[in-house]
Amino acid sequence: MKKLLLLAIVLRLLVAGLLFHPDIKIYNFQSSFLSRGILDIYSYLIENKKTLPFKEEFAYFPLTYFAIGGYQWMVSPILGNDFDSWLNNASSGSVVKDPNIFRYLIVLKFPYLILDILIAFLLKKYFDDKKKGEKAFTLWLFNPFTIVLIYAFSNVEIFAVALTLIALLLTRQKRFLLASGVLALSAGFKVYPVLLIPFLFLKGKDLKEKTLIILVPILTLAAIILPFWSSLFVQSALISGWTTRIANPNFVIVTSILFFYAWIIDRKIKLFNYWFIILLFIFSFSHFHIAWLLWVAPFIVILAIKKPVLSTFFLFITILAFLIPMLYNDKSMTISLFRIYSTWYDLLPTPFSVIEKFYDPVSLQTIIQSALAGGSLVFAYKLLGRDKT
Amino acid sequence: MKKMIWFTIFSVLFLVLIVPAILGLALDIISAGEQPGYDTNKRLSIYGERGVAQKFISSGANLTAIGTSIRNPNLKNKKEVILNLYNADNKSVRTSILNGQNFQDGDFVKFIFTPIADSMNKTYVFTIFSPLAGPEETIEVFYFNLPTETILEFTYDEETYPGGFPLVTFHKPNSKFEVVKEIYSNLFSRLQLFGSQKL
Repeated sequence: MKKLLLLAIVLRLLVAGLLFHPDIKIYNFQSSFLSRGILDIYSYLIENKKTLPFKEEFAYFPLTYFAIGGYQWMVSPILGNDFDSWLNNASSGSVVKDPNIFRYLIVLKFPYLILDILIAFLLKKYFDDKKKGEKAFTLWLFNPFTIVLIYAFSNVEIFAVALTLIALLLTRQKRFLLASGVLALSAGFKVYPVLLIPFLFLKGKDLKEKTLIILVPILTLAAIILPFWSSLFVQSALISGWTTRIANPNFVIVTSILFFYAWIIDRKIKLFNYWFIILLFIFSFSHFHIAWLLWVAPFIVILAIKKPVLSTFFLFITILAFLIPMLYNDKSMTISLFRIYSTWYDLLPTPFSVIEKFYDPVSLQTIIQSALAGGSLVFAYKLLGRDKT
Repeated sequence: MKKMIWFTIFSVLFLVLIVPAILGLALDIISAGEQPGYDTNKRLSIYGERGVAQKFISSGANLTAIGTSIRNPNLKNKKEVILNLYNADNKSVRTSILNGQNFQDGDFVKFIFTPIADSMNKTYVFTIFSPLAGPEETIEVFYFNLPTETILEFTYDEETYPGGFPLVTFHKPNSKFEVVKEIYSNLFSRLQLFGSQKL
């Protein structure tokens, strides 16, 4: 086990140090203001837009700012004196040519490594059967998909993912109230776990518990976001482009069907199934960011261990889900990840531009997403209907 | 599970070691450097007979394209934009013609032409005109007044100034493997530098 863990860490460090997604620089630049005493980053970035080298708004919830900013402050002696000028450097060329970039990336991605390994241990704990637990542990550590998602795309979503998994473990112990609190904490990093709370509500044994399951997250989340509440916060984090893309009619319809089915028809719901299905629906019915795929990854690992016969199906839908964002007209989804090797890659066309010569890449995205939606619906039917896990 | 472990090891090593080489092999041209920074308020208008000329040194062989940022306000210019390249003897050696409708306002625009094999360290002048464009179809190039090692001087309205446009020259590599070798040697030299640093 120790050898496997060591090997897993080495593979992760390779990807962490050599592949660069510009988001890590942007949100670390934004979070660096914590060490200067800025608490309300949402207002600060918008009010100082003219003078800042980067104009992006802070799209995450407050706990992400405090976690990243706090960690950055803690490791500042390791990052060194030049780190600030690297963060403030708006030249995309010299940023990746800086020999310190390897150190910066490994140090900045180190919390993800800790959480990544924590998730592996949580997955091990999820199974009562020791062998299955070890399989889940190994499958989490040894699959290229999560390594790329976490370390190539500098995936800050991992904070919310680890907490959501803890909430899932708590629901197995029937500690629904605590689970709802952990989900709210998780939503303090990224809002998506809020979607899981209505199903948790249905698990409450009586009206009092149901009420508390709703109240606890509302109050927790209110405590996290109210100090920053303003139109600028709403504009930056709450109705950011990606968040509003989830709330499209197709997704709302399938989610409502799922919820009312659970409430009126199913009644004795298996929480895991519903949480998994709703996450799967996000990728089937909305224009998603590749980093979001991490939300569903621990669920897929659990199901792949529970139902090995479905492994090929999971591999297939994972590849489909990966293909969609790679076809966006966005270099940072593909070739730009390798800019540390050479900025000459900027001269290469994106997969979008290559496909454009033969076929409409947006139509291709739609076709793949439709196939993913079809697969998800059939799988939802299997999980909820004939084959409850 | 053993298969999955091997598959993951292979995938990660493929990603960090082989993919960059494949991408390198796909490069038909390479740039000589980064685009210099520029002040967006310093611009020169180009329309009709009003054009610009830039003197520069090609830092590599096989010069095959010149790129710079060009404004096309309100995308009004839909006329020919012509780049003429002259050698040190003022003899026209290459011409590249684009249409204004093909570039957005502020785009980095590449003028591509047949490679010039012996361009290494040679001085050239290029001009940019949009002869059929009227004043309302003006395009604009950015400029800076400090000459660099390769961007020497520019001429506008018959006056010559030091510096020039934030341009990048592009060159056709002699061999694709040379490009890949250059990519890896550059990476390893930076890794060595990183390894020799004290954390």
